[in-house]
Amino acid sequence: MSLVLRNGKPVRKSDVWIRQSDRENVVFDPETSSVHMLNTTAMAIWVLCDGDTAPAEMVDAICELSGLPPEVVEEDVGGILRGFEEAGILVWNA
Amino acid sequence: MAERDGTIRVLLADEQALFRQAVKVVLSSEDDLIVVGEAADGLQAIAEVERVRPDVALLDAALPNCDGIRATQQISLRVPECRVIVFSAQEDEQILVQALEAGASGYLSKGSPLVDLIDATRAVHRGDALVPPRMLGALLQRLIHRRRERDEALKRMARLTRREREVLVLLAQGGDNDGIAQSLVISPETARTHIQNVLGKLDVHSRLEAAAFVTQNGILDDLAVAAR
Repeated sequence: MSLVLRNGKPVRKSDVWIRQSDRENVVFDPETSSVHMLNTTAMAIWVLCDGDTAPAEMVDAICELSGLPPEVVEEDVGGILRGFEEAGILVWNA
Repeated sequence: MAERDGTIRVLLADEQALFRQAVKVVLSSEDDLIVVGEAADGLQAIAEVERVRPDVALLDAALPNCDGIRATQQISLRVPECRVIVFSAQEDEQILVQALEAGASGYLSKGSPLVDLIDATRAVHRGDALVPPRMLGALLQRLIHRRRERDEALKRMARLTRREREVLVLLAQGGDNDGIAQSLVISPETARTHIQNVLGKLDVHSRLEAAAFVTQNGILDDLAVAAR
């Protein structure tokens, strides 16, 4: 397991609202009344936070699609997941 | 190849002449884009790409005579330097995946604003891959799902002995008992026993299912190597 990615499988907080369009992705957490703007990559990672997908699988799929090196993608995915966690909109399954 | 002044040469393939004409007008209004060829069906698109060698080909997924996906495959093989964008009537995840697997660099729906088509043409010419943002998450989910299925298939395949892998390769190539027996210089009864073992270990119920297992998971090459 990479040092950048933590163990477990991330899960989206179930009661947040999402508005997705071609131009913007907005996540609203009614519990804290906070709004989070996500870029395209963060939104794609958000979709993958289903409690069944490990961060390493996300990295593999993004590498396959983008051709980017794993260490770069690991850094990005790790950072985005940490951002979700710090915003309180993500929890982790064992 | 781009012209010396940096102009991006585009080929446009769509069954509808009116649609082609409209897109041509829009693209040609940009200083750095020029439409150098048109096609009304897939076979014509392949032939035109080979003839005019555009930088970017814009193909409708639903072209007659050879759909846009198959045309993309052929163009990727015959003129690999030509980047392909496939477009379809509506956003369709399956077409997106098929297009990317066929070698396309980008995908758009016909519902996209024309400015997106212009940006997309420039982006794929730069070497970027282009997926509609709203479809990215679903596409990644699909890739992950396919990878899991393939891993599971490889796990099942690892249960097979070397001889059984040889039998599975021949099964996947359409071999019957006698053919497999002859190829492996064994008796038809022994071939039948191996086939039964292969079916059991792969957890499939027929030869056809075993052949489909290999094809669907794209593991024929892995299998052939492992059987050597």
